[in-house]
Amino acid sequence: MSTIMIKRLICAAVLSGTIATNVNAEELRFTVWTGSKAHLDMLNDIAEGFRQTHPDVTVRYDTIPFGDYVQKLTLQMAGGNPPDLGWLLENSAPAFVEAGALADVSKTLHATENYNYADFSTSAMGLWTKDDGVYGIPFSTSPFLVYYNKSLYDAAGLETPDQRATDGTWTWEQLKKDAATLRNADAGVWGYETVDGQGYSARVWHNLIPIIRAYGGNAWTDGTCHLDSPEAVKAIKLFHDMIYVDGSAVPPGEQGDFFSGKSALTVTQISRVSKLADANFDWGIAPLPAGPAGNAATVGQAAVVAFAQGKNKDIAAEFLAYMTNAKNVAKMAEFFPPARKSVLEGDAFLSSNPAITPEQMKIVAQGIENGSVLPSHEHFPQIEAKARPEFDALWSKDADIQATMTKLCQGIQPLL
Amino acid sequence: MSAAIKGPSLTLKAREAISGWLFVSPILTGFMIFFVGPLIAVFYYSTTEWNLLSQQSHFVGMENYVDALTRNDTFWNVLVNSLVFAAGLVPLNMLLALGLALALSRSVRGAVFFRTVFFAPVITSAVAWAIIWTFLLQHESGAVNRALSVIGINGPNWLHEPHWAMASVIFTRVLKTVGLNMILYIAALQSIPRDYTEAARLEGANGWEIFRRITWPLLAPTTLVIMVITVVGSLKVFDHIYLMTGGGPQNATLVLAFYIYEQGFKFFNTGYASALAVILFVLILALTILQTILKAARK
Amino acid sequence: MTYRTQQKITRICWIIGLCALAIPFVFPFIWMLSGALKGQADVFSSASLIPSQIHWSNFSEIFAYQPFARQYFNSLYIAVLVTGLTLFLASMAGYALARLRFSGSALVLLLLISALMMPEEVTIIPNFFLMKKLGLMNTHMPLILLPLFGSQGVMATFLMRQFFLALPKELEEAGRMDGLSRFGVYFKVALPLSRPALSAVGIITFLFSWNLFLEPLVFVNDIELFTLPLALANFTDTYGLPLWHLQLAATALAVIPMLIVYILAQRQIVESFALSGVKG
Repeated sequence: MSTIMIKRLICAAVLSGTIATNVNAEELRFTVWTGSKAHLDMLNDIAEGFRQTHPDVTVRYDTIPFGDYVQKLTLQMAGGNPPDLGWLLENSAPAFVEAGALADVSKTLHATENYNYADFSTSAMGLWTKDDGVYGIPFSTSPFLVYYNKSLYDAAGLETPDQRATDGTWTWEQLKKDAATLRNADAGVWGYETVDGQGYSARVWHNLIPIIRAYGGNAWTDGTCHLDSPEAVKAIKLFHDMIYVDGSAVPPGEQGDFFSGKSALTVTQISRVSKLADANFDWGIAPLPAGPAGNAATVGQAAVVAFAQGKNKDIAAEFLAYMTNAKNVAKMAEFFPPARKSVLEGDAFLSSNPAITPEQMKIVAQGIENGSVLPSHEHFPQIEAKARPEFDALWSKDADIQATMTKLCQGIQPLL
Repeated sequence: MSAAIKGPSLTLKAREAISGWLFVSPILTGFMIFFVGPLIAVFYYSTTEWNLLSQQSHFVGMENYVDALTRNDTFWNVLVNSLVFAAGLVPLNMLLALGLALALSRSVRGAVFFRTVFFAPVITSAVAWAIIWTFLLQHESGAVNRALSVIGINGPNWLHEPHWAMASVIFTRVLKTVGLNMILYIAALQSIPRDYTEAARLEGANGWEIFRRITWPLLAPTTLVIMVITVVGSLKVFDHIYLMTGGGPQNATLVLAFYIYEQGFKFFNTGYASALAVILFVLILALTILQTILKAARK
Repeated sequence: MTYRTQQKITRICWIIGLCALAIPFVFPFIWMLSGALKGQADVFSSASLIPSQIHWSNFSEIFAYQPFARQYFNSLYIAVLVTGLTLFLASMAGYALARLRFSGSALVLLLLISALMMPEEVTIIPNFFLMKKLGLMNTHMPLILLPLFGSQGVMATFLMRQFFLALPKELEEAGRMDGLSRFGVYFKVALPLSRPALSAVGIITFLFSWNLFLEPLVFVNDIELFTLPLALANFTDTYGLPLWHLQLAATALAVIPMLIVYILAQRQIVESFALSGVKG
């Protein structure tokens, strides 16, 4: 009996192995970092549309968690099992372009009827072009926004962030004050949650850069690190105080999920609206607060790319062109603010997501217009690795912010 | 004169040799392909600079080693962390295992229950164990600090303060693995004939003397095996680090095995990671040799 | 105080001590079960172990979120296969190294012993490229081959050899008298006698495979091919935040069957370790 069983199991093992490697020539594998049903339904819809012209092409979306995304992607590529297409964040763009990992899709784009490549501004394409080549098309130019729990604001009788934004009194200092007021330890409600709760790890840059820019600082320019500038240190100090003086920001290692009502404020992007579908509280969105240096809208950018080692490069490029044509970009605008000027300026964009009012969508549009993209670099993975322990050193009550940031800059300077 | 006798005995010997090689060949072949081959390869890789992303490599000689040993203070930090981890985990684990085994070696009713309790984490997936403990060790809403606050202690942010993070990982790892060592000790204790200890007791020896003169020496072989398993287990710890701290905060829990993975598969420094792997190999080879010497000395 | 009562008091002290010691071993399981039945927002906000509202739906949501049954099966069949193959190959090699005299056996033994303690991290990078060359990326083969022929297989071989060394030779000689071949003696005489060693080595090997994390992380991409450890670490929402309630429910499903098997077989497990003489 046991030998039969072992034989069967070996068969099962071999079968599952062959199924996995036997990639159907007409199947495109597309890696994404979203697992949201709303997002995937929309993406599948686009794939379905592509079948009208390419009846035997199917697209399979593979979800890789955000925190592991670049790493897993690289592993797949190095392991000889690259996806055909995928999403890529702005900070990885230079490394992937320089390594020759992305396919040049410019020919296909120009050959596609009515594609209107000029609809993408040169600034939006900056990271994704090199010489004459086009290595990706941004599908999401998503400004960072403040989400606030309106129920909590109303209950406390505070002026809401979007009102303040219209008044011109919406500053980081104000956000700090509001967070401290709305913190309610007994109810387990925090004042402020960092971007997706990952502001100390995977998204530490997303967390700090908007504040630093509002204070007039920046990460680096032309190969010089500015993270130790007085402006940057002042900005970090503000956030540091929220954790260790006010106790209002969710500290490292703690959970305070805005989307389940456990935090009054958070900063994130518009696509997270899909998480609020069945929230049991009222919410609103506002632009990022201003700082001493005025408004500093910050935009995260993500593009659709085709991989140079993909097995079906031509079809992949065609699908990329299809996915980013005007019609589909308008469709994706529900979650992913478009980089196409024609879509962004059209009225349809303002009402593209039923969960978001046109007024709120205007805030998004403004953010895109004024925003500058998050920092990126050819050596970003190495910079991230070098910077990580230094950032960690910030998160204790009596951290010396200036000294830590000076050390951080010294560490990453050779890589810039 | 002995040709007639020698002939068949030779073939018998030859036959035994053939079956011997046949018996070991399946595992030996696999071992050569999936262990020895890669081991040679890793030495070669360690002399190259190799970017996993662009898949370009070129020979750099000893550069990676020089880099690790002289230019990179992270490496020394990692090495110290690995040793601290082993030095914290091994004695704690073995003492606890021995203590539990002594208390639970006899098959009384309660003993069976407690054995089950202490062994339960062993059969629990390491990932599951690490996940649960990550939750329990949260700063304010974690159960550990909630329990401590009841008795008036303001617990630290376990996984986010460098020293506590290391201690936490060691502690949860001990809980996860101590059960197996306990069972091995219990098994060894049960195979010690009763007469030995009874005789000693009749001669008026107290519990401690019996342990020191009879039990402990008889447990020596088991202790050695357990020590080897535990030391190696502590040097290859990966899942707990990956899930609980990711090597942080401030690299305080960055140990060699995790560092290799990160350099090789996250930051694409394949050559450098290979050099680290070679260093780990040398480290463990030294331990193996040390163990062999210890064993020889005992005999 | 009589000797009796004194003994009773010591016994009670022991039990209280053991109970206290048992807390960090038992409480995680209780907390896991409690969290598995809570809603996401409840897991951390309420300290109470009793959920304010029981969410049985967590358990069904797991399966909607990931092909969890498939992943469960993957882990199970891989562990069974690795255990079976390891026992067969390791006992055969262990037998030869203990019983058969052949030139080179000492060298083989030395080679294996030197690898006894080598963690998989040492060879994971070259193995990555080897598997790529063999076309085995994103399959279960690396998860079967590497434990079988890596340090775990070596450890099993070594333990089996130690066991056979301690086994009296006479029984096998009787088998040889009956005209059995070498393989026949090993398979029909020695192997049945080594049940305790086989089960002890089998348990260790099974647990090794069941816990495997680095290899699946590196070699497997498709969610259908995930093993349990990977699946458990993968309960994250849209943006990589853990879905605690689902993660805990899945963890409970992964842990409980193993616990039941263990509780049922616990006496045999200890016994097999005792009889196998797992020692140096």
